Amino acid sequence: MWHWLKDYSLPGALKEQGVLGMNARNYKIISKNNNRRQYPLVDDKVQTKTLAAKAGINTPHLIGVIEYQYQVKDLTRLVKDYPQFVIKPAHGSGGKGVLVVKHWDDDCFVTASEKVLTFKDVYQHISNTLSGLFSLGGQYDVAVIEEMVNFSDIFKDFSYQGVPDVRIIVYKGYPAMSMMRLATAESGGRANLHQGAVGVGLDICTGKTLNAVMHNKPVSEHPDTHAELKKLQVPYWREHLIIGAKSYEMTGLGYLGADIVLDKNKGPMMLELNARPGLAIQIANGRGLMDVIKKIDKTYPKNLTPEERVDFLLNQAETEPK
Amino acid sequence: MKNLFTVRKILTLCLFLSIIFTVFSVYYKITYWGFDFRPNRTASVWSIDAHISFKPTGEPVKVSMAVPTGAAKFKILNEDIVAKGYRIEKNTDNGRIVLTSGPQKQDQDIYYRLTVYDNEEGRGKLRENGVQIPRKPVYGEQQMQMAEEILAAAVAFDGAWPQKIITLFNQEPMNPTLNAFLPVKMTEKQRVQIMIDLLAIKQIPARMARGVRLEEGKQAAEADLMLEAHDGHKWRLYDIRTGKAGLPKNFIVFQHGGKSLLDVQGGVDSKIRFSVLKSVTSSFKLAGHRAQLNNFGKMFDYSIYSLPLLEQNTLKWLMVFPLGILVVVLMRNVIGIPTMGTFTPMLIAMSLVKTGFWPGLICFALIIAIGLLLRAILSKLNLLLVPRISAVVIFVILIMQFMTITGYRMNWEIASSAVFFPIIITAWIIERASITWEEDGAANATREIIYSMITAVATYFVISNEYIRHITFAFDEINLVILFTVMLLGTYTGYRLTELKRFSPLAKKS
Repeated sequence: MWHWLKDYSLPGALKEQGVLGMNARNYKIISKNNNRRQYPLVDDKVQTKTLAAKAGINTPHLIGVIEYQYQVKDLTRLVKDYPQFVIKPAHGSGGKGVLVVKHWDDDCFVTASEKVLTFKDVYQHISNTLSGLFSLGGQYDVAVIEEMVNFSDIFKDFSYQGVPDVRIIVYKGYPAMSMMRLATAESGGRANLHQGAVGVGLDICTGKTLNAVMHNKPVSEHPDTHAELKKLQVPYWREHLIIGAKSYEMTGLGYLGADIVLDKNKGPMMLELNARPGLAIQIANGRGLMDVIKKIDKTYPKNLTPEERVDFLLNQAETEPK
Repeated sequence: MKNLFTVRKILTLCLFLSIIFTVFSVYYKITYWGFDFRPNRTASVWSIDAHISFKPTGEPVKVSMAVPTGAAKFKILNEDIVAKGYRIEKNTDNGRIVLTSGPQKQDQDIYYRLTVYDNEEGRGKLRENGVQIPRKPVYGEQQMQMAEEILAAAVAFDGAWPQKIITLFNQEPMNPTLNAFLPVKMTEKQRVQIMIDLLAIKQIPARMARGVRLEEGKQAAEADLMLEAHDGHKWRLYDIRTGKAGLPKNFIVFQHGGKSLLDVQGGVDSKIRFSVLKSVTSSFKLAGHRAQLNNFGKMFDYSIYSLPLLEQNTLKWLMVFPLGILVVVLMRNVIGIPTMGTFTPMLIAMSLVKTGFWPGLICFALIIAIGLLLRAILSKLNLLLVPRISAVVIFVILIMQFMTITGYRMNWEIASSAVFFPIIITAWIIERASITWEEDGAANATREIIYSMITAVATYFVISNEYIRHITFAFDEINLVILFTVMLLGTYTGYRLTELKRFSPLAKKS
């Protein structure tokens, strides 16, 4: 009768592991480190892109922005030089309303998941985006057209459709925790953990797998591709970290999540930033975030440049006994 | 961290102060306004009619009557005299009403009506020093001997002398000596007089107290009596039926001591007869009157309870919401149940109160189910957001109309409660559930709805509880306590209950 109680742990046990809870995240971390005035910088992808360019962070090239319904038909003119492109809502979240066009000609568009869409379908999609179908709270939105990322083949075996991306939690400019989210058949090609994507916790100093979970339970291989998750190693790890570190100065947010993808030719690119990154990353890493945050607060030096911070972090790892 | 500490400190202090204020206020309302924690508390209101009648002799008339004084153990709701052609003078010092008029010819009827409530038990003590030792009654030798025998028999009983004698008088079968001593036929008054005489032998001053025993359906009865005896320091009242000391709850004393209950000059054959009528009213309704009596009328005038009944009912409905809000806050921030929209569950709970629990739930489930079905068809049309949600709103209205009409025709009362659900909220629930359905599957959509309903049901049980509704209305200061509790919860940084499960893999690992 009481067996279900075994699924629960005592608050003290979680505290000991330094697990950060939702209330503590909102009250102690977000409301103390993130100024509400800076939220629009990360909620609006157009603004994020402009800022990132200034800060010297690579992002997918912006082809154009469709702001009003009458501009919807300009799409073909905008993308005429681009065989592949992505349509995104500027205020979207969780991958909602993202349309990846892999190939198009005078008749139709072919999406990344091999779906064939007519021009009318795509126009409808953009119209929906503008009317706020995919944005938070249903407010009017704009559609962002950007160049498609040429995903590096390294992760090909690790993801079922979709884009594997790296999420780095940055606290006061220091990368604190990271994970890679791998889409599965169950998650419908999307990289949201609650929909059944695999979360792989990455060692913040090396970019190597620490631990992997699916639906909060440990897994050792990808359920669809059967790739061994232990073998995952993100290349250009230092560059990833630098993007994360730079986004602190770029936005002024003390606690943020940076989503980074790896382009075959251009290296790591920042896709988007999040002012309220979720807590599932702790489960993927198999450790609590609070310990790391405390350590950064207490012992890490302030007033360093992003590169200095990343180097400090990497040196720290070498001197620290394992 | 320092900042957090002070915010919490201030809120805790506010919470503490509001608790103290509430406790004081609850005490005050119970003591002075007669409020109660129980709902539907009733209070008995007693109407005492004193009917005075006499035949005039042709001389100027002066009627003097003893009435209860303000120091009595009850509250006077109303006092009224019907005496045509008399000049009325009330003397509150000696507790008498004096009526005067010129000579009268016909038989006279004067009515004095007193309406009292909140009558309480009293100790029935009256301090008076230097009371003279009474003279022994003038008895013959044989009579004196009998009296001595009676007193000797009374010693065996418990209590003070007046109680011993009363017990002996009420003994069944009666003591033979006493039986012989008493006249064969006697009035209650004579009986009490004999008790007073016997007490005089024991050198205890005693007298009669007259008043009315509050008994339902008393018609044209004579004044009821109590025995009052002096214990050296004060007068004490004794019930002549039971011998119990003190003023019983159901006895209203009109007159004490030597003076008469009724004096009539210019009239003969004067009589006073009492009738008693009991009525029951809500204790709450008397609150305003109690407040006036206690000189707290101003404060009452500026409280909810002085408003017209319609406004009171609206406020009573509103006063329970803070508690409902507290439930929602607890569910979300402490337990960690996600709900659709912050206060959607509370709005559903409000509707459930109006429809009744099961009819409401069944009806709501039906509306959502039909709504989702129609919405599924709608989603194929790829409409823009605002027109689409507007269409869902109209769907909901049509479903409600359909259900109400069908319910009425088929005599299913359940279906006709459909109209009580908030239309816009219902439409948004359908819209959100349908989007979740498309994106995350039916299981997630159902889970979202069920979580919202769990919260709604919990809120329903809080706001529909009769006791809770009464208390939050009668003691509305409690809402201040709830306010600061909610604010203090805004600084709660502990784990949510659901997180104990969500993050348990992290704790189990080591």
